[in-house]
Amino acid sequence: MEVDVIKSKISDALVSILEHDNFEMHDELTAKDVDGWDSLSHMMIITKIEEEFSIRFKLRDLNKLKNMGSLVSVIQTKI
Amino acid sequence: MNLISDIQRSIEKNYNNNAFCFSNTYYTYKDFAEVISAIRIEIQTHVKRDEINIGLITNDDIYTYASIIALWMEGKAYVPLHPDFPLDRNTTVIKQADIITILDSSDDKVFSEYHTILTKDSNTTQIDLLPARVTKDDLGYIFFTSGTTGTPKGVPITFGNLSGFMDAFWELEYTITDTDRCLQMFELTFDLSVVSYLAPLLKGACIYTIPKDEIKYSYIFELMEDHELTFALMVPSILHYLRPYFEEIDCPAMKYSLFCGEALPLDVTEEWSKCIPNATIANVYGPTECTIFCTDYTYKRNGDNKTHNGVLTIGKDMKNTKTIIVDDDNNEVQEGGNGELCLSGIQLTPGYWKNEEKNKEVFFTKEYQGEETRFYRTGDLCTVDNEGDILYLGRVDFQAKIQGFRVELSEIEFHAKAALDKLNVVAIAFTNTIQNTEIGLVLESKEFETKQLLEDLKKILPQYMIPTQIKFVDSFPLNTNGKTDRKKLNKLFS
Repeated sequence: MEVDVIKSKISDALVSILEHDNFEMHDELTAKDVDGWDSLSHMMIITKIEEEFSIRFKLRDLNKLKNMGSLVSVIQTKI
Repeated sequence: MNLISDIQRSIEKNYNNNAFCFSNTYYTYKDFAEVISAIRIEIQTHVKRDEINIGLITNDDIYTYASIIALWMEGKAYVPLHPDFPLDRNTTVIKQADIITILDSSDDKVFSEYHTILTKDSNTTQIDLLPARVTKDDLGYIFFTSGTTGTPKGVPITFGNLSGFMDAFWELEYTITDTDRCLQMFELTFDLSVVSYLAPLLKGACIYTIPKDEIKYSYIFELMEDHELTFALMVPSILHYLRPYFEEIDCPAMKYSLFCGEALPLDVTEEWSKCIPNATIANVYGPTECTIFCTDYTYKRNGDNKTHNGVLTIGKDMKNTKTIIVDDDNNEVQEGGNGELCLSGIQLTPGYWKNEEKNKEVFFTKEYQGEETRFYRTGDLCTVDNEGDILYLGRVDFQAKIQGFRVELSEIEFHAKAALDKLNVVAIAFTNTIQNTEIGLVLESKEFETKQLLEDLKKILPQYMIPTQIKFVDSFPLNTNGKTDRKKLNKLFS
């Protein structure tokens, strides 16, 4: 899957959970930069992304998801 | 005060042991002693003798923890100030607690307008851990919790309270030694942090903290596995997050796994017990007012565990606490009856900080076992069975627990109403799909854009108090007593 496609699917997942699109998708984007992306919504976002890509993150993967760039590369290893 | 001398002795005895691990960087007890000594000099030089309550910016580093011990050795109390909390809230706390000086390990002052000691810049000096004269009535810390009228209330804890807690804690025989590796997962604004650093420090064990930019539950798992943690006190919400991954977790090194701060469901506990096959699991309970926790129940791996609505019992009172269950008139209910749990003993706070009104409301004295005894009404509805185990039934008021933090729903309502020009609002605590508690807000109004409201609330309230869902209704449903039917409103959320 193209990186752009992956990013746009992640973006959709974020919008559906956070109910806003006040963020720009770039590799350095972190949860901190996005309104409402806290530990509570993080879990729901992760679940949504798992559904969208039909993948399953390992508990150990979760700590690697520090920014958009690493999220994309972890997803790439799973699809 | 023996407690402070005990800290001194333990640090001196364990110089070569690791005391802390922050983001994979270790500090020995000797490193810790050096930083404490340097900060003591700063305090002695820049803080007046009669200044007791000192603000502490709660960063995750050696300087912040060393500041606590340095303050104690100087006979002073710390008042934690979370750098991410709204300025308004921190300013209220600073004013209420008469704080003049703030210890801050940041590169630049968090509060530029206050007298600040930047602890990172302390000059190295000779190690000096000899404590000043500290009595049991001196304050060790003041923690501020959510208050009903929109102002946080301060709970001062004395060294006498804290010693009473430690004494009762060791009596539980959840042993810690100088080879143990212990989790400290709490923000320093939360009093469960105190036992999480103090117990290991008193035994020469190593403390593992969680960096602020990490996702707590997955980082805890990595610490448990990579560093073979042996002791962990956690809030049950961590288990709800980890539950989908339980199959991936196998940590035979864990010896003691304690839970506090929220209801602990039996089914999750049973599943968790398989992830930590060699650990003793315990459910402990207590409000900040009674110093960290004061009742304890050890989970039985192969036996019957007492529950109410699937929630594990909070067990029996610990060594230095007495508990009774009372009705509205402070009379003890009959065995097996329901009532409000009240606590007394040497762990009990001298009373809320400069808040006589609230003190009259929740503290009372009554004759108990032939003695005039001071009790604290916890607001927790409980019952005690014939073996003396306490079962938690719910709250008597509108308090909720969010990730272990106590939240007065009325405080959120107060600020939401203020922001909305007296619109009628109800704050609801609801259980989400992974069994954690979230806050919902119901507005008696036609729908409108709530972005501004949330922004206003974020300026005043800490993140965990911000509603995660907002609903609109034309008019609030009423129950048979003519009161707003919160149960019905609760059903709006899922």
